[in-house]
Amino acid sequence: MADLVGIDVGGTFTDFVHIRDEEVVVHKVLTSPTDQSLAIGRGLAALSAGPEAVIIHGTTTATNALLERRGAKTALLTTQGFADVLAIGRQNRPHLYRLAQQRPRPLVPRARRFAVNERVAANGAVLTPLDPEALKEIAAALEACGAESLAVIFLFSFLDDTHERTAGRVLQSLLPGLRISLSTDILPEYREYERTVTTVVNAYVQPVVAQYLERLMTVVGRRSVWVMQSNGGTIDVPKAAEQPARLVLSGPAGGVVGAFKVAQQALDTDAPQVLTFDMGGTSTDVALCPGIIPRTAESMIGDLPLRLPSTRIHTVGAGGGSIARVDAGGALRVGPESAGASPGPVCYGKGGAEVTVTDANLVLGRLEMARFEIGNKHSAQAAHEALARLGALLGLGPEQAALGVIRVANATMERALRRVSVEQGYDPRRYTLIPFGGAGPLHACDLAEALGVQTIIVPRHPGVLSALGLLLADVTYTTARALLRPMAKLIGDHNEAAALVSELSVQVAAALGGSPRISASLDLRYLGQSYELEVPLCLPVGAPHLEASAAAFHAAHQQRYGYSMLERPVECVTVRVQGSLPGAKPTFADAPWATSDASIAQVGHRPVWLHSGEPTMVPCYDRTRLAAGHQFRGPALLYQYGSTVLVAADWRVGIDRQHNAILHHEAHTNASD
Amino acid sequence: MKPIPMHRTEPDRVLLEVYRHRFAGIAEEMGLTLQRTGYSPNIKERLDYSCAVFDAAGAMVAQAAHIPVHLGAMPASCAAALRAVERWKPGDVVALNDPYQGGNHLPDITLVSPVFAGDALVFFVATRAHHADVGGMSPGSLPLSTSLFQEGIIIPPVKLYSGGTLCNDLLTLILRNVRTPEERRGDLAAQRAAHAVGEERLAALFVRFGVHEVLQYAAHLQAYSERMTRAAIASWPSGTYHAQDALELPDGRMPRIRVSANVAEDAITFDFDGTDPIVQGPLNTVLPVTQSACYYVVRCLIEDDIPVNAGCFAPVHVRAPAGCLVHATPPAAVAGGNVETSQRITDVAFLALAQALPQKVAAAGQGTMNNVTIGGEGEAGQRYAYYETLGGGMGAAPACDGLSGVHVHMSNTLNTPVEALEMQFPFRIREYGLRRRSGGDGRYRGGEGIIREYELLRPATVTMLSERRVRAPWGLAGGGPGAVGRNQLIDRDGQAHPVPGKFSRRLEAGTRLRISTPGGGGWGVCED
Repeated sequence: MADLVGIDVGGTFTDFVHIRDEEVVVHKVLTSPTDQSLAIGRGLAALSAGPEAVIIHGTTTATNALLERRGAKTALLTTQGFADVLAIGRQNRPHLYRLAQQRPRPLVPRARRFAVNERVAANGAVLTPLDPEALKEIAAALEACGAESLAVIFLFSFLDDTHERTAGRVLQSLLPGLRISLSTDILPEYREYERTVTTVVNAYVQPVVAQYLERLMTVVGRRSVWVMQSNGGTIDVPKAAEQPARLVLSGPAGGVVGAFKVAQQALDTDAPQVLTFDMGGTSTDVALCPGIIPRTAESMIGDLPLRLPSTRIHTVGAGGGSIARVDAGGALRVGPESAGASPGPVCYGKGGAEVTVTDANLVLGRLEMARFEIGNKHSAQAAHEALARLGALLGLGPEQAALGVIRVANATMERALRRVSVEQGYDPRRYTLIPFGGAGPLHACDLAEALGVQTIIVPRHPGVLSALGLLLADVTYTTARALLRPMAKLIGDHNEAAALVSELSVQVAAALGGSPRISASLDLRYLGQSYELEVPLCLPVGAPHLEASAAAFHAAHQQRYGYSMLERPVECVTVRVQGSLPGAKPTFADAPWATSDASIAQVGHRPVWLHSGEPTMVPCYDRTRLAAGHQFRGPALLYQYGSTVLVAADWRVGIDRQHNAILHHEAHTNASD
Repeated sequence: MKPIPMHRTEPDRVLLEVYRHRFAGIAEEMGLTLQRTGYSPNIKERLDYSCAVFDAAGAMVAQAAHIPVHLGAMPASCAAALRAVERWKPGDVVALNDPYQGGNHLPDITLVSPVFAGDALVFFVATRAHHADVGGMSPGSLPLSTSLFQEGIIIPPVKLYSGGTLCNDLLTLILRNVRTPEERRGDLAAQRAAHAVGEERLAALFVRFGVHEVLQYAAHLQAYSERMTRAAIASWPSGTYHAQDALELPDGRMPRIRVSANVAEDAITFDFDGTDPIVQGPLNTVLPVTQSACYYVVRCLIEDDIPVNAGCFAPVHVRAPAGCLVHATPPAAVAGGNVETSQRITDVAFLALAQALPQKVAAAGQGTMNNVTIGGEGEAGQRYAYYETLGGGMGAAPACDGLSGVHVHMSNTLNTPVEALEMQFPFRIREYGLRRRSGGDGRYRGGEGIIREYELLRPATVTMLSERRVRAPWGLAGGGPGAVGRNQLIDRDGQAHPVPGKFSRRLEAGTRLRISTPGGGGWGVCED
């Protein structure tokens, strides 16, 4: 009975995955950049989604508005004396060694930054009461400058939010059309700059996102819509329109959810240990899931810190479109400059002249031109010539130069994978790599070997895994509040923590409706440190559970930093509560085991440069014809819609009953059996 | 200790780039560990630290880019540790802060430890972190001193850990000499944790690729950076370029710093002959700090993104007569030289090279770090020492306005969040904003300074070391100067009193300290 549509908007394509009664239909349309709902309308028209279908949507409207500075005319109201906190930031310059440098424009220019007399002290006491009369003048000024939205951030409002709420209420009554974001609603946590940025981002993207969602609702008709948040959970449209800052980092979240759920089923465990690897055109997103989808409250978007929970993803500027060059010192460099989707790689034939990673893959025989929707024989020849020119600078032939480009690009991606694994205290050799995105499955074997990973799962539809992931996500809402107390105090009298958790739980339940599953966590640190680690807090709140959280903190500190200090007092900084409702999730029945063998899927051979030296004749398979139980050895190429899989030598492939390609490193196969 | 034979081969151009990522990643990860586990606000909030990897000869292989003033000074620490230790064992950690033996000023404590491959010593890792207090005559250890002995505990290169075992007696001695011992203990533990990460990551490289290859590419990367640096200098017009600028002493005297920068073929020599002798006061610098400033200047004028290692420094020569204020000799006071004089050395080196490279060099930035230290006792009688530095205007560059409210040149530390600070210390911030119209005029405007006003909630000792309160940051190519900085005390009656750039006073509760930092110089003649 399920009728579900996952819609994921990317830079080039908008991907659709439609699931109706276990039948999966994959569809792509070109993204409509100015109004993403246009492409959605076109795509929905092409699918047979019923009028009652549930749509789960990942949108980059908020992200793009922010990155391209196309948000609302936003104003800012702060405590007197602190109107420039947003502009000063953390007082560091972005580039250490550049004499000429510029910062991105602040989201709120000087002329729209206002301040009012009021002050709360560090202990929560009111030092200077808020003057409501002054707000009238501010309202007049806001009107005069044409502000469309307003962010209100007062110092220490996370201790006492009365002034912020009063200011919001008074200004809203004077200016009913103004969209107002209060820091106490968006991020009631300490550190004024981060709180200011996060609240301002919300105010800045809110009108744009709200208008977009209104247009979307007219496109989808009666169908219900859920929107993906940065934290990997979905939320309903009214809440998304109210707090769109929660959507800003949602782009890569669907893919991580999708990869995690694929691994849960393929590995038959609720807590798989996976490394996700999403390689696209301009960037690569990686995440480490140690049995759970990891979240963080410390993310950056462009130069701005965003302190809302998001999936812990590390992004590097290396993708298929990354440009290769030889620098003045003679080193081969790849990226971070990218040819992007336009002009794109040389082989696209759209005017690109600089060698990219995709061109290198093509020259090595790892990609087949005929499978591209763009480019032709001439552009393929141009790519070959471009690699020959690059090779001449290095004293290498075109194929050897191409191998070099791949190797440097892989080094960047390997560093990204190490950053989320080894550097956080996790051993990647115990993890399963899940490559997806257009280019991920081409580079997976090389990276797995570099990291010592022994198993790779290439999902059935690596090119649209993000859209599939949307359908698999829970409906979630999270909230948090600063609570700066020594743990010993919270444990001694657990009523304070218990009261706060139940207050936040009520908020979460109200936001979600129904009766969500509630979980809590604490941000803890050693008294005197400045950075916290988030550890779970089991419910109900009581001394034993609080003690368990403190113990979990010592262990997490040991894991992350290599030491712990059991004798040091632990301090609580923030309490977080998350609620989740299971979404309307699709299930996929296992395919029957095939009676044939993999040879029926083989579609020929082609020469491929795998390492240095001569090319190897490599068998090619049509992925759609591979069936459950098929097995074969690398090297091999697997062709499918939107992606190509390169299986290196020493890897053995098996197709499981969900049509995932499971790759095992042969050197380790026997040992682990 | 067995030497590892080195076969010098031509580098593989691909591996060269791969190793650049590997070494840089190690230094960065060490830094992240230090930041996350540190206790001093200087370390955890302001990132006033550096981490580096050195080869067995003490040549820098990679440094996490944070604080330029550590550029030349970190290699000096490694060299001093090498001189002091006869036989290294795995698990050894040398600590030092003696400016005359590898340090730069006493608050910066450096740890150096060896990395072994089998029984061969192949690398060193080092961390340098600014500790909030190391004793001495005023809280925060940036005093108005006249001798090094007043500035805090002096640690020559000594083993803090020997074969992995903490030398408890030494630590006890150090901690008894500082105002906030528990914080020191935590910071040293954080530094040690960063070393463990660096050692572990290097060892993992040896296992994967063999120690020979790792060593070869450590050498290749240095050669590569040297090639890049020489190629850039070779494109500059040859010649000798002179400049001078001055510091501001509390007694009104203004000692000169002079430089002649000689560009010859692919190398450059900065000669500080003619600079005034050592001054009475904390503004002298040891030679490694002067070298850091010159390395930084050259690095800024090379636009390519070259890895920072010993190769970058090879074509840059720095000379200064011993006994002058930029090449101090014991026991001259140096607490402020590192933070203030280093900025003026940078200014004067840029001013000289502006004659050679007028389309590259920017006007003077704020030229100071506006060091504020506040120390006293909290409500419960616990002692505290607070240190921070304030940003200001950056100089305008040819075709680019200067940034406002940032640290310039030798520092790039972050500010401390107002809410973090007020929860920890007995003072309150009354105002924190940009200083309107303080940037120099010009076709491109200098950046604006900062205004920060502190209100003391309890009596405290306040020490300030700041410059550019008299001599304004200069403009270039006809651009106007930035506004000079200004320090004021505002008493309980609201009466404002000017105070000099450098002072140390015991102040009553309710007193406010208002600091207006300098703007940057402008560039080019204003067209309207």
